[in-house]
Amino acid sequence: MNYLFLQVLTGLQISALYMLIALGLTLIFGTLGVVNFAHGALFMLGAYFAVVISDAFGFNVALVAVPILLFVVGIILERGLIRFFYERSHTDQILVTFGLAIVIGEVLKTIYGANNLPFAKPSWGSGIVKLHEYLPFLEGFVAYPKWRLILVVVSFSTVAALFLLLQFTRFGLIVRAGMRDSQMLAFLGVNITRRFTIVFGIGAVIAAIAGLFGGPITQVEPELGMKLLIPSFLVVVVGGMGSLPGAVLASLLFGMALSFTAKYAEIQQIIIYLLAVVILLVRPRGLMGKKGLME
Amino acid sequence: MEYVVSILKKFPLTVFSLVILTMPFWFPWIGGYGGLATKIMIWALFALGFDILLGFTGYLSFGHAIFFGVSAYATGLMFKHFSDEIIPAMIVAVVVGTLASVIIGYLTLKKSGIYFSILTLAFGEMLHSSALSTFGSFTGGENGLTLPDMIPSMLGIEMRGEIMFYMTALVLILGFYIARRIGDSPFGLILKAIKSNQERLEYTGIDVQKYKLGAFVISAVFASVAGSLMVVYEPYVGTEYLRWSTSGNLVLMSVMGGVGTLIGPIIGAAFMLYFENVLSVPLGEEWLLVLGLIFMAIVIFLPGGFTDGFKLIYKKLFGNKADGEEK
Repeated sequence: MNYLFLQVLTGLQISALYMLIALGLTLIFGTLGVVNFAHGALFMLGAYFAVVISDAFGFNVALVAVPILLFVVGIILERGLIRFFYERSHTDQILVTFGLAIVIGEVLKTIYGANNLPFAKPSWGSGIVKLHEYLPFLEGFVAYPKWRLILVVVSFSTVAALFLLLQFTRFGLIVRAGMRDSQMLAFLGVNITRRFTIVFGIGAVIAAIAGLFGGPITQVEPELGMKLLIPSFLVVVVGGMGSLPGAVLASLLFGMALSFTAKYAEIQQIIIYLLAVVILLVRPRGLMGKKGLME
Repeated sequence: MEYVVSILKKFPLTVFSLVILTMPFWFPWIGGYGGLATKIMIWALFALGFDILLGFTGYLSFGHAIFFGVSAYATGLMFKHFSDEIIPAMIVAVVVGTLASVIIGYLTLKKSGIYFSILTLAFGEMLHSSALSTFGSFTGGENGLTLPDMIPSMLGIEMRGEIMFYMTALVLILGFYIARRIGDSPFGLILKAIKSNQERLEYTGIDVQKYKLGAFVISAVFASVAGSLMVVYEPYVGTEYLRWSTSGNLVLMSVMGGVGTLIGPIIGAAFMLYFENVLSVPLGEEWLLVLGLIFMAIVIFLPGGFTDGFKLIYKKLFGNKADGEEK
């Protein structure tokens, strides 16, 4: 029982980070139709900002400042670069964002070096939680790092918040309509471009949240972006491109798969790729992908 | 000038061969050295094959390191366990690389362009991480496959220095000839039609899938030959050969040079290796940053790459008479 519970918890914790990164990716793809290879770099930027700001002013300041900073970075990127690529092919979008990812990674490497930056957790987030005190069905002594539990909570809250924003607000309604047919919406007099800019900013904010809470668990180094981008892309594809529930489902699947194969390193290294290949062979549009889209 | 261009147009292969074969004489003038010239030949071959896929069909693969790396490992293992003769090693390596491409191409090419890019990237990472851990006992794991004191030879002749350079140069020239023939053939025309409008092509009753797979496998054969030559040139298989960064570099050089022109990616490969090994001395650690910025500038402002840039400059200088057929 203990074993099973801990594996599930670890799976949740692994999927939490994938979920946050994949969420931003799939949101930007679903609304703007842009394949953003620089999303991992945005996440990495969030982690670096978080380290630097929390070293100088403490984590609580970073908690507020990093999402704002990344929102601004996102807006600048969308207005200054990405919007010129809406009309160009997906290949060009991939190429330019890939170049952007290299540039961001290299700038960070030039400033902070190629080594891992130490990320100090705030005092309220360090230590362990004695789970057996809260959950009577666990036997004996069961402890889990507090920060990883916080990451899980933060991740699921972000998903819920995004879902509420898109499903129950006027802004969400317009964005969802824009995903269907942005031209029609523009004819109706809705300023869809401004909404799309904000959506890109929101994607960057989610990357900032991932950087803030994921940074202490992963290592903060210049290769980090690409390292997490590849599995996150798989999450998006397996979940169905542009589908938010799909991304959640797929990241849970990957997290559990990684957690339950932890004993066998040889299998764990390739399990998510195997899963992705099998799922996409059986169901090319992904778990929750829309019919006809990207099939 | 017009005269030079007309010669380039009439005898592209001859001019190309002359430039390549005289490289040991002129390359040191601009700061190059023998080993770098050989490496450029190998990467140029890799990029040339990649252009048959990306340039003709428009499918952007982020996993071509797979074929380069798999064939490099196969060559290394042949050297280690069989003999230091390169012919059997290279044959086995190309067969292995081709088989891998048939399987991976079959699985990934069904999907649209985006799926293809992401899935090839994923396959590449799968093989990279399995080479590091799952098959670590064969591949040497994190250290790569080391082949101490190995000098590969062909029919008893040691493949080193000048001989190695001229062999790779000849392979590249042959590759360039084959790639041009493919480009002009009906097969090549269908590949180019896939790029411009795949749907319309499907309606004419052509089995597009088959042609895409054909282009993929051909480009993988080029990649396998290049990967195998890399191990002949430098008897060591690094884990980075399978890494996404190898595929990424290939994409960078192809796009910078100009996709779809065949000569473009070759120029791009030469530029990138020259940049990495010669220009990086004054630039220091930041050379990749500069390269990344150049790459972005090219994607944004000059999607045709260097070859397109040459055409534009030529048109500016010599009026609109030239219709701009490059080499």
